[in-house]
Amino acid sequence: MNEFLEQFVIEGRELVTQGNDDLLALEEHPDDRERLAGAFRAFHTLKGAAGIVDFVAMGRALHAAEDVLSAVRSNNAQVTPLLIDMCLGCLDQVGAWIDQMQATGEIPPAAEDEADDLVRRFSAMAGAGKPLLPGDPGPVVPAAVALSSIGRDLLEAQKMLLAEPAAEGAAGRLESAGRVAANVLRHHGRSLDATDLEGLLQSSLLAGDAAAMSAAIDKVLEGLAERPPEPAAATAAPPAEVTLRVDVDRVDALIRLTGELLIAKNAIGHSAALAEAAADPRALAVALKNQHLLLDRLVGELQRSVFSLRVLPLHHVFQRFPRLVREMANSLGKPARLMIEGATTEADKTIVEAIFEPLLHVLRNALDHGLESPDERAQLGKPATATVRLRAARQGEHVLIDVEDDGRGIDLARVRDVALQRNVASQSALAAMSDAELADLIFAPGFSTASEVTGLSGRGVGMDVVRTTIERLGGQVAVSSRPRRGTTVQFTLPFTVMMTQVLTVEAAGQVFGVPMAAVVETVRVERSAIAPVGAARAMVLRNRTLPVIDLARALGRGPGASAGDANVLIVSIAGQWGGLEVDRLGEPMDVMLKPPEGLLAGVPGIDGTTLLGDGRVLIVLDLHEIFDNADG
Amino acid sequence: MADAAAKRILVVDDANLVRRFYRDALERANFEVGEALNGVEALEKLLVESFDLVIVDVNMPQMDGLTFLRALRLQAAPVSSIPALVISTEAAPQDARAARSAGANFYLVKPVPQDTLVAYVSIMCGLPA
Repeated sequence: MNEFLEQFVIEGRELVTQGNDDLLALEEHPDDRERLAGAFRAFHTLKGAAGIVDFVAMGRALHAAEDVLSAVRSNNAQVTPLLIDMCLGCLDQVGAWIDQMQATGEIPPAAEDEADDLVRRFSAMAGAGKPLLPGDPGPVVPAAVALSSIGRDLLEAQKMLLAEPAAEGAAGRLESAGRVAANVLRHHGRSLDATDLEGLLQSSLLAGDAAAMSAAIDKVLEGLAERPPEPAAATAAPPAEVTLRVDVDRVDALIRLTGELLIAKNAIGHSAALAEAAADPRALAVALKNQHLLLDRLVGELQRSVFSLRVLPLHHVFQRFPRLVREMANSLGKPARLMIEGATTEADKTIVEAIFEPLLHVLRNALDHGLESPDERAQLGKPATATVRLRAARQGEHVLIDVEDDGRGIDLARVRDVALQRNVASQSALAAMSDAELADLIFAPGFSTASEVTGLSGRGVGMDVVRTTIERLGGQVAVSSRPRRGTTVQFTLPFTVMMTQVLTVEAAGQVFGVPMAAVVETVRVERSAIAPVGAARAMVLRNRTLPVIDLARALGRGPGASAGDANVLIVSIAGQWGGLEVDRLGEPMDVMLKPPEGLLAGVPGIDGTTLLGDGRVLIVLDLHEIFDNADG
Repeated sequence: MADAAAKRILVVDDANLVRRFYRDALERANFEVGEALNGVEALEKLLVESFDLVIVDVNMPQMDGLTFLRALRLQAAPVSSIPALVISTEAAPQDARAARSAGANFYLVKPVPQDTLVAYVSIMCGLPA
């Protein structure tokens, strides 16, 4: 491979996306020449890129697709769903190849066969290819060419250019051909012939006749010496890299801040010199205070700037949906169109990356359950093609994303039946519920079950997983619905996501989180090494005596394990070290911490909670309070 | 390559990767390289700077390569006589013919390896072998 691989990967992906967009729009509006040109250009540019990284098979596949689009452009073919499918399929394959190239740095070994397959399918669709016209040498496909043969080809080409019947710009053509021909001669060390030719050129220009020049070129064509071909140079492959594209403005802001930080740093050096020279302490204090203020502002700005690097437009995830909705709609036999609004809305990278699955699930649900069949829609007087809107907007510190369909709305009576049947809620609880609360039951665990697994909505997960995922991101999900008008599912997500790293530990059979920042180290000690000191216990670690607290006991859950060695977490609380005895040590993980709510709010020793991947709540401990209470 | 430094090449292609690829090859061979994203930009550049050769793609937004060539040949001398090398992905004879009738001096089909590109450009600029 070669040094252009990295850029090939980045631009290739963008072109695949652009091609996808244009093809989908083209399917909607087959007469849109601009979209057609856009799609064509995406394939075309991808083909060029494939050539640069020597990916011949990819070029071949793209060429086949391009031929088909070209036929549409020249009105020799029509935009059909099959044609769009084939072109989208080709882009899928190209996307997969790009992924593989990024991972391995090599052209995928299966690409030849995969490309052949695509080419076969394209040519089956387009019918037999047109034969090349006889009598024309055709364009030069570069191979390892001998220099002299290049010269010969160039001269032949100039002759043909001179023979062109040109209505306009004849002088320009003639003169350019003369220049090239003279240069070829010059290159071959025949400067005198070149000068002669240029003289001839001037008289030809005046006479407006190219015949004499053609003849002169003919004469010199005989005399060009043969040279052996030069061997092609090999190039080395750079390793693939995972990259994040960042707005230039944001990088500029960082650079500017860096400059200001440098100035602030120098000012502190200056203050240090003043202190050394025993300057007036008050003046020094003022200088330092000002510098501190400046640094404070700059560091704050730097923090915001760095956070903004993590912010991406939702377009990154939204762009995948038109394609998926199209496929879902096709497989369900429910014509539907996806309208996207606010795709430029930005959100934290964590959210943009995590939002795909829940959105896909909601969209699937909308198509599968929300939309009526075309017949039903016709009876209701609704347009045959349903509309699903995917919208995003920024609202203060939140990002709102909603999915709205124009289907039948949620059937609350049915929700009530299902909830009862599946023991999601009791009869009396259901009777007391408002409509909104009833609708909300679709997110309850156990509401959707495997029994209603269809080709799309199923896969064994229900809307409860959507809610769990969104809540893990620190967001909320709400649903509203109007009978026969449609359903809207709304996600409210935080704009910035502050992740905390915690270490999970187990005590009294339950998993807790300890903020990683407080953890110094973990040790295993013999139980006898933890000695009672009055009412408390202590151990010695490297000549330091540390208080040790049994977590299970501190939480009022009785003593922890008593056999074998003890697992002790050495933690630092406000500079003081302490030992926390736990039954088992788990994994470090990044979590979104929420302050304790509801009943937990009054419980001491709890810093916050977070949801685990399996839906369980992880309690993150406030070590301050635990150690303080244990002391007393 | 001997004294390519005196020679200036204008690369006209809408694909960043392609321009970078050509620029890289040509600069290593000591050519001076200018860039344009489409025919309109290329014409603007040619009218204010002097170039010894134009390398031009066919399929570009705003103004495609062939329209550009026709417009180029209609300019006043010496701009009208700048040699033009078309490099396109189209490999059919009629594509080469269309380029020639628009005023192209030569037509190459992508992909053009870097050493091949330098070889053609050197000869078209009349550099000693």
